[in-house]
Amino acid sequence: MDTPRNQVERLGRQDNPFDPEFPETDLDRIAALAPFKDMDPASFSKKQPLRMILQSDTRLRRFKRGEIIVRAGDYGSSAFMIVSGDVRVVLPPGLPDRVLGRREPAKRSVFRAVAQLWANHRNPEVRTPEELGGGGSADAESGSRVFLQDVPRLIGKSKTVTLGPGEFFGEIAALSRMPRTATILCDSDDAELLEIRWQGLRDILKHDPALRAHIDALYRKNTLSNALRSFPIFQHLDEEQLAQVAAQTQFGTYGEYDWSGDYKKLAKAGTNSIDKETVIAQEGDYPDGVIFIRSGFGRLSKRFGSGQRTLNYLGAGRWFGLREITHNWRDPGSAVPFQYSLRVIGYTHTLFVPTRVMEQVVLPGAPNSLLPRPLTPDELDVDDDDPLKEQGGFAQRIGPELMEFLTGRRIFNGTATMVIDLARCTRCDDCVRACAATHDNNPRFLRQGPVSSGIQVAQSCMHCVDPVCMIGCPTGAIHRDASAGDVVINQATCIGCTSCANNCPYDAIRMVEARDPGGDFVTDKEYRPILKATKCDHCIDQYGGPACERACPHDALKRMDMTRLDTFATWLNR
Amino acid sequence: MMRTTIKRRLSGVVLLLAAVVALFWGHRQLVPVMRHLAYLTGWFLLAVCLFLTAYNARKKLPFLPLGNSRTWLQIHAYVGYFSLALFFVHTGWRWPSGAFEAVLASLYLAVAASGVVGLVWSRIVPRRLTARGCEALYERIPMIRRKLAEDAEALALASVATTRSTAVADFYKLHLAGFLGRPMNGWRHLAEVRSPLMRIKALIADLDRFLAPDQRKVLGELAVMVAQKDGLDYQRSLQLSLKLWLFVHIPLTYSLLILTFLHVVIVFAFSGGAGAN
Repeated sequence: MDTPRNQVERLGRQDNPFDPEFPETDLDRIAALAPFKDMDPASFSKKQPLRMILQSDTRLRRFKRGEIIVRAGDYGSSAFMIVSGDVRVVLPPGLPDRVLGRREPAKRSVFRAVAQLWANHRNPEVRTPEELGGGGSADAESGSRVFLQDVPRLIGKSKTVTLGPGEFFGEIAALSRMPRTATILCDSDDAELLEIRWQGLRDILKHDPALRAHIDALYRKNTLSNALRSFPIFQHLDEEQLAQVAAQTQFGTYGEYDWSGDYKKLAKAGTNSIDKETVIAQEGDYPDGVIFIRSGFGRLSKRFGSGQRTLNYLGAGRWFGLREITHNWRDPGSAVPFQYSLRVIGYTHTLFVPTRVMEQVVLPGAPNSLLPRPLTPDELDVDDDDPLKEQGGFAQRIGPELMEFLTGRRIFNGTATMVIDLARCTRCDDCVRACAATHDNNPRFLRQGPVSSGIQVAQSCMHCVDPVCMIGCPTGAIHRDASAGDVVINQATCIGCTSCANNCPYDAIRMVEARDPGGDFVTDKEYRPILKATKCDHCIDQYGGPACERACPHDALKRMDMTRLDTFATWLNR
Repeated sequence: MMRTTIKRRLSGVVLLLAAVVALFWGHRQLVPVMRHLAYLTGWFLLAVCLFLTAYNARKKLPFLPLGNSRTWLQIHAYVGYFSLALFFVHTGWRWPSGAFEAVLASLYLAVAASGVVGLVWSRIVPRRLTARGCEALYERIPMIRRKLAEDAEALALASVATTRSTAVADFYKLHLAGFLGRPMNGWRHLAEVRSPLMRIKALIADLDRFLAPDQRKVLGELAVMVAQKDGLDYQRSLQLSLKLWLFVHIPLTYSLLILTFLHVVIVFAFSGGAGAN
C-alpha cells in the first residue's frame, strides 16, 4: 500500500547521526584510539553503548594548513579530538573579525521578505517536505570554510599554543553553552580531527570519569592562564606570575548541569526560596580567596532583617570578594569579613584564587586603577539600613521587589528577554501580529507571563546565557547560531521529542502538530501526529531585528539583555 | 537628570511649534504673491494626510526595515497636530459654506479628535489596567469568566449538602448568578465607578452576620470570586475601549481620504483651470 502523502517516518536520534555516512572502518579506527580504547564498555548502558555514541555523535573532519577550525566568539555545540596532525590555538588578543571571515546570519532576500505579504500559509504550522524529512546538519559551524594565508603575519603579536594528536579542545564551549574562547587553526598540511557533538561528549563523560579528569588537566594546561587573563585584575601579571596563580587556582562546580528540572519543581511547589541555594561564600566569614565566575550565575545577597535581600546577580566574567581582600591587604589592622553572601543559581563554574596568592602575587604590582576602592566606615555599617542604598545606582533604581523577582525566577539568564512595561502597554497585540506575520502566520510567543512592579516577562524565548533547553536535545536540532548567538531550532532535525520544551524553565518552547503545505496534519505510520518544537528565533533572518519590539507603538516592549542590569535600570527609568 | 521620554516630548513640542510658526509665516508671505494659494495648501494637506495614513501601512509590513512603530507613532502624532494648523490655514479659518465641504471638514475634525482622544486614552488606560490587577488576555476573558461562574455555581450548590442549608445557594441564585454569568458594568468601569461591586459586597456582609462558620467559609470564597469577576469585567471594559477607538479612527480616516479625492476632482472640475497661477 502506498504511503499517504501526509505520512512520514518518525525520526529518532539515530536517524540524525552527526555523519550519516560514517564508514564502519573509520568507526573501528576511532574506537581503537585512546581514550576510547581504554574505556570500560561495561560502564556504558546496553541501550547506548560507546560504539553507538561514537557512531551517532561523532564525525571525522579533515583540515588543511591555515584553515580555521573554530573561531573565538562563535557558539559551538561540539568538541574536537585531534586524530592526526597539529592545530594552533591563537591566544588573545587573537585575530580580527575581518580576517576570521565572520559573517552575519543569512537574511531573507528582499523579495522573500516582501513575499510574506501573500506567501504565508493560511494554515498554522505548515512545514516543507525538507523540514519534515530529516537530514541536514544542525551544526552551526560547518558553513563555508575559511583559510588564512600568511598565518605568521596575521597572528602578529598574539601568542599561540600548538596541540597534537590525542588532545581535546572546544569542550568547554560545547558543554557550558558558552562562546569559543580562542581561534584554532590547522597547523599541518593535512590534519584529521574527530568532532564530537556535545550530546555524545556529555554521555561519554557521564560513563567515564577518567575523561573528565583528562579534560580538566588539559584545561589547566592549555586554557586556564588565558581564562585568568580575561579578568582585569590579572592583566598586569607576567607569564611567570600568571603561572604561579594558575597553579594555585582551584576549580569549583556548583549546582546541577540540568538545573531546570529542579527549578521547575520548586517553582511549581512555591518553595523556590533563597534558602535552598548552595552558599559559595557566606557574609561574615573570613575572606579566604577571590571567586571568579567562569560560567553560570551567582546571587549576591546581604542580610536584611531576618532574611536575605538580593543585591545583584553575578554572571560569567564577574568576581566576588576582591574588594574585601584588597581592603584587608591595604589595612591589615582593620580586617573585614565578606560583606555579602554568594549563592549558586543553576549551574555555576568558578575559579577560586586563594587570598595568600592574591596578596603575594597579584595585588602588590597591580595598578591603582585595577584595585577596588577601600570599604568606607559607612559601607561597613549598613546592617540596619537598606542594603540597596549601599549598592546605589541600578540596584536602587530597579528596586528590591523587582530584583528579587528577576533573581528568583532566573530571568537574569536571558540575553533577549521580552519585558513589557504594563503601564505603557495598551494590549493592542501589534507585537503578536508582527511576530505572526514574520513567521508564516505563527506567533512564536505568548503575551502573558509573570508580573512584578508593573513589568511583565512574556513567555518568549530569552536566548539564554545558559540555554538549558539544549541539554536534552538528542539530535542537536536546538542550537546556537554561530555568529549571532541566538538559540534556534532546525526544523529538519527536530524529532519532536519535547525534551527542550520540558527543560525550558520559562515555558517558552511550544510543541506543535505539523501540517503539510496542503494543510493536512502530518502523521507517522501509526497515525500519530508529528510534533515539532517552536519558539522565538529573535527574527534572525529578518531585516531590522525582532519584529515584536519594532512593532510596539508605545515603547512598552523591549528585548532586554538581562545580564546588563544598568541597561535595564535605564530603560525602566526612561 | 531629565528622563528621555520628557526630553523627547519637549523636543517634539518645540519642533511642532517651530513648524506651525513657519507655516503661518510662510502662508502670510505667499498670500500677496499667490492668487490660488488654497491649491498649494490643499495639496500639502493631502500629502500630510497620506503620510499619516502610511502609518497603518507600516503596521502591515512588520517584516520590512521601515523603522520602529514607536518612532512612527511619535511622528504620526506631531504631524497630526501640525495637520490641524494646516487644515485651518487651508480653510482660511472659516467653516465651509457648501454641504460637501462641511461634511469633509467635519470628517477631518472627527479624525483629528478621535486621534487625540485615542492617544490620551492609550496613555491613561494602561496605568489603570496595571494598577487594578486581574491581568488577562482579552480573548481569554470569556473563558476565564465562564470557568469562574461554573466554579461559583458548583460551590453554591455543594454548600446545600455540606452546610445543610440553602441560605448561601439562595443568595447566590438571587444576587450573584446574574453578576457572574455575563459581562457587567462596562461603562461604570470606564468611569471608574465602583458602586456596583460595593453594593454586592454590602449584601454579602449583610448575609455574613447570620451565617454559621461553615456557611461563612463558602460565602467568603464566593466573595473572592465576585472580586475576581469584577476585575475581569474591568479588564474587559478598558481593553475593549482601547481596541474600539481604532475602529473609529481608521474607518473615519479612509472615509476622509475617499471624500478628499472627490473634493480634489470637484475642485478641478469646477475651477476651470484656476489652479494655474
